[in-house]
Amino acid sequence: MESIVKKFQSKFRKVREEINRWDELQSYLISQFRNASHIVDRLQLLQNSNNHGVLNCVSGMRDALLEKQIESLRNILVSMRKTLEEFHCIVLSLDKIHRDSRQLVKGGSSQLNKKQLQQQVGMKPSLNYCLDSLMFIHEIYNSEYLLKSSLISALSEMALKNSASDLGALQQLLFDQPNVQTEEVQFVFDMIFAEELS
Amino acid sequence: METLDSAPSTPARNTDSKPRTPSPFPSTVLRLWRPHAQRNLRNQWSQFALCKNRWSSASSAGRSHATDLVNSHLSQRYMPDMNLGVLSDMPDIRKRACLKLFKRQELQRSKLLLCYKDMVGIVHDMINVRRSMKCFFKGSNNSSLLQFSCNPADQSDFGDGGDGGGIPVFKFYSITSHEKFAEELVQMFSLELCLKRLLVLEFMSIGYDNSEVKQLHWSTQLFEDEFKYLRDCNLYCEVTHGPVPPRFRDGKSDIGALRFDNQPNPEVLQVYLTTWLAEANIDTLKVNEIFAVVGEEMHVSII
Repeated sequence: MESIVKKFQSKFRKVREEINRWDELQSYLISQFRNASHIVDRLQLLQNSNNHGVLNCVSGMRDALLEKQIESLRNILVSMRKTLEEFHCIVLSLDKIHRDSRQLVKGGSSQLNKKQLQQQVGMKPSLNYCLDSLMFIHEIYNSEYLLKSSLISALSEMALKNSASDLGALQQLLFDQPNVQTEEVQFVFDMIFAEELS
Repeated sequence: METLDSAPSTPARNTDSKPRTPSPFPSTVLRLWRPHAQRNLRNQWSQFALCKNRWSSASSAGRSHATDLVNSHLSQRYMPDMNLGVLSDMPDIRKRACLKLFKRQELQRSKLLLCYKDMVGIVHDMINVRRSMKCFFKGSNNSSLLQFSCNPADQSDFGDGGDGGGIPVFKFYSITSHEKFAEELVQMFSLELCLKRLLVLEFMSIGYDNSEVKQLHWSTQLFEDEFKYLRDCNLYCEVTHGPVPPRFRDGKSDIGALRFDNQPNPEVLQVYLTTWLAEANIDTLKVNEIFAVVGEEMHVSII
């Protein structure tokens, strides 16, 4: 029993690593998004030759500028997709941790009965609680990944249509990560590692 | 910074497809020439890579000074209409704020100018590198010792072209090909330098009083010896007595009616800043490709 709980704790440590990685990627994604939205903002400005001042004396400059900006935007969008792919890897890893843990208690030779799953030894959490928490964490990060994925699609679409009107709203959603409930995740960790904390 | 008074960079004369007249040197001599030429090329290309990095840092520093300058200028311009809330009761608050913003602009202007000066120096260095890729035989006729030099001034000694008779220096490319690669890079950075000069003039002009004697023109020298450097870089036109006008690649430009606006719209200022950032004349993909090809040829990573 005790050894299984220990195994679970090491799984949660892995989960914590994944979440830290997620946070790193999040700040990276935000800066990518900012850069992209700056360019989308600028594109409209660049299209009007009245805004080019003395640069109008250099023929071809306006088109060249537009082209360069669109190219940079395209590059940023490509690297955002790559970042998104890394978010996906985290979600997959969280899923795997959850499934492996189920296997640990419900499959294999050491089939545990219902009572054992609910049993709590000292401050250690029950196995059921561990399993549910792993599933919960996987679910919230999965939904957040899906949200990010659709936000980036929306951004690409806006860039194509050259309308910068709703960029602010998109950015806010990206910042807020509405699906990720940081306090609840922290609470789970406090429960799992209650012994170490006390 | 010593400049070489060789002819301004002309397109390379020889191509690989048209081999030169058979080399006047026996193969034993060429065998000695090769390591010297290789070492020289390695050095010159790493110099060039260094110039490229110096350019990026100068350019990004310039951009942040320009951004700061634009922001201070706009704040100063909007100061009279700004709602200062409780602060508006403070005596002379607007005047003092404006003075501070004005001083800040002065500072940023001089910093921006320094960045531009750096960039002129960098292009100047690039051109020197481009001119020092050849490796000549040197030494007196009565000495059995062969010496080599990369200084074009030594060219006359043996009358060789400095390119080992056009043989590949490493695997595939002759000296001439290396020079062509370098020339292509020099072209991009030179064009971008002219464009940056236009932007610098524009940024320097904003906020200036119209009546001021210091009004800037395209033919205004921005720092001491600027035109001397530009002449060395082949960027000074002796006919118009001014720097070569900015262009985009092979395009034209008409700076006849050029007038620098001292109160441009914020939108225009933003386009200027974007232009500074975009470096439209520098084809980044092409630059990276050249450095990759040359690096692979020389078996060193120079990026």
